[in-house]
Amino acid sequence: MSKRPPREYQRPALQKSGLPLSGKALIELMQAVHAKGLPFRFRAGGHSMAPFIRDGDVITVSPPASSAPGLGDVVAFIHPETQLLCLHRVLSVNGKGFLMQGDNMPEIPDGMIPRDAIVGRVTRVERAGRRVRLGLGPERPLVALLSRCGGLAVIRRYAAPLYTRFSRSHGSCEKP
Amino acid sequence: MKKIRMDMIFSHSSDVVSREIDGALIIVPLTSGMGDMEDDLFSMNETGTEIWKMLDGTKTVGEVISVLTVQYEADQGKIERDVTGIVTELLKRRMLVEATAA
Repeated sequence: MSKRPPREYQRPALQKSGLPLSGKALIELMQAVHAKGLPFRFRAGGHSMAPFIRDGDVITVSPPASSAPGLGDVVAFIHPETQLLCLHRVLSVNGKGFLMQGDNMPEIPDGMIPRDAIVGRVTRVERAGRRVRLGLGPERPLVALLSRCGGLAVIRRYAAPLYTRFSRSHGSCEKP
Repeated sequence: MKKIRMDMIFSHSSDVVSREIDGALIIVPLTSGMGDMEDDLFSMNETGTEIWKMLDGTKTVGEVISVLTVQYEADQGKIERDVTGIVTELLKRRMLVEATAA
């Protein structure tokens, strides 16, 4: 058996990582941080949870053990078919798991997601440096009901201009 | 900063999470009691990754240097300087803790 030749030596270096994290890397890091019982904060991409979570919002996901997700909660999970990380709302809970759906995609429900696919619960949303509470407060079950029956899309169509005005004048967002 | 001796043993701080993802080591500092991707993340090159893996609370600095000397084409003096340098930097950033007070 031949001896393996010595490898070329590089000086060990620690550098700031500028690498964009893939979905898989994000899931691995989130699970590693959650294993220490700590929340995980990252910038979300996509439009499936608009208007409550928008593309580029900064999301905090708490470990699943801190509290069991309930109706209307926004939950981070690994989609069983795509293996991608999703942040969608719980529309119902039963013994098999959670019925999930993105608020902005009533035509494409996720179906039943088993409990072991749950990575954590969204506990904070920040947009442009301000905390966004709408959609994550006590109104969560109502949002889930509206999302399930398609009412959210109707409300969005007619109330979006009012909502935009209201949020500007009354501050539905607040500083974190 | 304390001088790094060859009989010292170090391990990863509980204030960081590290994972090797697609061959690249990523170190996440747990600042403010959370893993924050909006803060700086760190990575290491191949040699740095090997050193990080060996600083697991079982090997002395001297043993880490011996392993690298066998694996790489470089003189022991250079490897020793580099290992103590990277250990010092990791300690400064609170990514390592001394496992024994030898």
